[in-house]
Amino acid sequence: MTFLVAAALLVGLLVGAPIAAHLLRRRRAEERPFPAAALVPATPPTARRRSSLEDRLLFSVRSLSVLALAVLGATPFVRCNRLSLTRQTGASVALAIVIDDSLSMRAKVGDKAGPTRFERAKTGANELLRGLTSGDAVAIVLAGAPPRVLLAASTDLGAASAAIDGIEPSDRATDLDTALRLGGDLLKGLPQIDKRVVLLSDLADGDPAATPLAGTTDVALWAPLAEIEAKGEPDCAVVRAERAGTQVRVRVVCTPVLTIAEMPATASPSGTARAAAPNNAATGDGPSAGRSVQARAGERLLRTFALGPSVRTDEVTLDLPADAPEDVTVSLTGSDAIAEDDAAPVSALGAKLKVALVVDTAATHVETGGAPPVEQAFSALALDAETHPLPTVPDHADELAGYGALLVDDAPGFTPEVRRAVASWVEKGGVLFLTLGPKAAAAPLGAGFDPLVPGVVRWGASPSPGVEPQSFALLGPSAATLADLGPQGRASLEAEALANAEVLAKWKDGAPFLLRRSLGRGAVLALSLPLATTESDLALRPAFLAMLDRFVRIARARGGSPRVDAGDSWTFDGAKSVTVLREGSGGPNTRTKIPVIEADRRMRATPSLAGVYDVAIDGEHEVRVATVPEREIDLRPRPLVQSARDAHLGGAAGAVDVSAYVALVLLALATAELAIRAWTRARSEPPA
Amino acid sequence: MEGLAVRSSVFPIEWGALAPLRLRARTVAEGVYAGPHRSIRKGAGVEFGGQRSYVPGDDLRFIDRRALLRHDKLMVREFETETDRALWLCVDATASMAYRGDGAPGAKYAYAALISAALARVALATGDPVGLGFVGGDGVRPLSASAGREAFDRVVGSLESAKASGDATADPHTVERAVGPIAKKARRGSVIVFLSDLLDLPERARPDLLPLGAGGRTLVVVQVLDPAEVDLPFSGSVRLRALEGDVVVEADVDEVRAAYKDRLAALTEGWTKDIEARGGRLVRAVTSEDATAVTRAVLRAIAEARA
Repeated sequence: MTFLVAAALLVGLLVGAPIAAHLLRRRRAEERPFPAAALVPATPPTARRRSSLEDRLLFSVRSLSVLALAVLGATPFVRCNRLSLTRQTGASVALAIVIDDSLSMRAKVGDKAGPTRFERAKTGANELLRGLTSGDAVAIVLAGAPPRVLLAASTDLGAASAAIDGIEPSDRATDLDTALRLGGDLLKGLPQIDKRVVLLSDLADGDPAATPLAGTTDVALWAPLAEIEAKGEPDCAVVRAERAGTQVRVRVVCTPVLTIAEMPATASPSGTARAAAPNNAATGDGPSAGRSVQARAGERLLRTFALGPSVRTDEVTLDLPADAPEDVTVSLTGSDAIAEDDAAPVSALGAKLKVALVVDTAATHVETGGAPPVEQAFSALALDAETHPLPTVPDHADELAGYGALLVDDAPGFTPEVRRAVASWVEKGGVLFLTLGPKAAAAPLGAGFDPLVPGVVRWGASPSPGVEPQSFALLGPSAATLADLGPQGRASLEAEALANAEVLAKWKDGAPFLLRRSLGRGAVLALSLPLATTESDLALRPAFLAMLDRFVRIARARGGSPRVDAGDSWTFDGAKSVTVLREGSGGPNTRTKIPVIEADRRMRATPSLAGVYDVAIDGEHEVRVATVPEREIDLRPRPLVQSARDAHLGGAAGAVDVSAYVALVLLALATAELAIRAWTRARSEPPA
Repeated sequence: MEGLAVRSSVFPIEWGALAPLRLRARTVAEGVYAGPHRSIRKGAGVEFGGQRSYVPGDDLRFIDRRALLRHDKLMVREFETETDRALWLCVDATASMAYRGDGAPGAKYAYAALISAALARVALATGDPVGLGFVGGDGVRPLSASAGREAFDRVVGSLESAKASGDATADPHTVERAVGPIAKKARRGSVIVFLSDLLDLPERARPDLLPLGAGGRTLVVVQVLDPAEVDLPFSGSVRLRALEGDVVVEADVDEVRAAYKDRLAALTEGWTKDIEARGGRLVRAVTSEDATAVTRAVLRAIAEARA
């Protein structure tokens, strides 16, 4: 406290003046000796009765006025314990508030009685908003995967506050990189010089070894809430529980066990001081130690299976009794950081997403041997999908019915029977990934890809050395690895194929690199490069893995798989009416309706919470499941650059200018005193 | 000092007007010395008191010879003797008696002391002995009943040396201690005058005091009040603190004056009823009233009282 603050607050001592005056006035009516006092009936003196109410009101109002005056004097120096930013030059600022609404934010801050990280983040966002003034701009981005823009940059602080109040926690994964990039993009072009992205997250995005999160030269990154940062807390989750007959397959994922040697490296990657990870590193026991998986039907315990002491991922099969009811819930015993992911309803779904691969092993191979790169990539990605290599593309729709996705590498066109079968399969929800190369361009007479990819495919030298990374943003940072692809050639499509298609990525000369065409409820992804390593090393680059991951996600969303991660979307092309209801634990009356959004003539629903969903497509009901993303079950924090913690950006005890509010209070008190005086005078005057 | 008012001019009193007054009572006295009052004893005297049968041992000088000759019975003639009548004064000298209101010429104790002195002068003028006692007070010197020229000076000196102080409410036996010696010494026919404001007396004061009126004694209580205690002349909101005890009352006087007067009247009436039930009298005196008239009223009350 500075001298000025102390001096200003000393004015508050004047609040004793009215008290002293009141006491002195009371004492003037001093006692009088009177022997017969015992015979005098005690009554509240008229003077006090008359003045008691208004005197007390006036006294209170005056005391408060003096205190308000003192606070007003000290206001420019008052610091209060709330999140506030520091203005570098006193000018307006532009903020992009990135709020993490992922599953890991459901963990508690501090002890178990405290708020969740998500609640603290919302509170912090509101505190920041209260510190903004006219002229400041704010944008809001949600960091749960996929990141979403909740509010574009706006100076309407009321709208921002309403938007923050409407945020609900979710079971999504975390995508901090994309969220920060989105936040930075929202601030571009704004007139404010001071631009910042405020990250309100626990930093647990499942990738603790990635490069530290940082801002850019134009937009600073500020992570003010160190208390909500993840510290590698122990947690286990039931990410999936599927029933096949009397067997329930349960997938359990736990946070990794940190060894003593790992703890310093992972606990303080940004160089900031962190608390020691709370798991039992000395004994090697993980969060699963002493815990069991239980299958219950209401209060009835059906089966129990004890987990090992250091489970990271585990598949548990529980044999249910023959008389087990339909509604079964699987849960974990004990407690951990996140209680919401410890139980999951059992769904009657058993099949993984089946991906059929049609790859020419002679043309697509690696010198070290083994399976073709695409099969190795699927295996490495662990996308929870079954790959089925096929020698040729089936020419009957029934043969494709069991698959959710089909990848065909540089096929020399499809015969009419194959085209008809594949088109029929795609229209029912299948997703076809078609890579086009020299063989596709040399299709024999009568063979082609219409209506999957209309027109003729041509092959020629590529005038462009690589792909424009900006156009392939959906792949994230790995898109940059395609910038210097240097292929031997590339396929080109006719304009007919580009009609009604969405170009997902472009070559640097603007030609389409990857496009998507919707056909019925399904989709066709057409890539203008084959996977053959003789044509390019595309299949060996990180971006290819991201591309396959995207392909599988699209396949799941298109109905190829009824199970998606929370946050991924179901797309219903060709459907006229879609209703999605989340099954509650309390029966049909506890169902929650999920909004179905239509954009670009495509209906889409995004389950943000894990659980079982009843999806009605044109009156036909089917059960779909949203699961907890496995990579979210990792509460180790992502590194953060030290500058994101700099005190000059602001903090939890920043100076807050509340003089306007104090002045309003003072004005209200003055008005109240005038009103009381007028009222008192009206009462004291005798009626005419 | 309130006691000095007895010989000062704070309360004007016409001593000459007191000269023809006499202490008279309906009861016969049981005095020791000859005096102007009828004695309970019969014997040598001038007033015929009746006849009775002779019993051995009677003085043969009082045998009625005519009755012996006429009725052939030994009859003895009796004559009433005249004796003195002791006046016992008991003055309340507690703190409340030191009160003097804004409109009063002096404190209540000074006024009570003056009345006491006037009564003593009347009694001593006829040769009756005067005793003195105090309730509470500081520097008090109780006096046994005595007559003679010096008795008046002793009574006045004792009244003047006393200072009204002390809290009677804190000591429930304070009245008993004051009237106890008087009850023992006062013979039949004695007149006991108790001067007090009757305020702030302990609850036991009444049962301790009232027996003084029994046994052929005459009890007269003089309630001495200040004009302020009669009229409650304050106005507005005041805090009134009793001089004895810790009673503090905050009241709007204008509103409670009537109720106060009713309570005071009820207090006085209660005392009056109890005293008159034992043949005594209560005289109410206000310090603004003429002391001579009050003295006459007290003497009249003594004369009207019956044992």
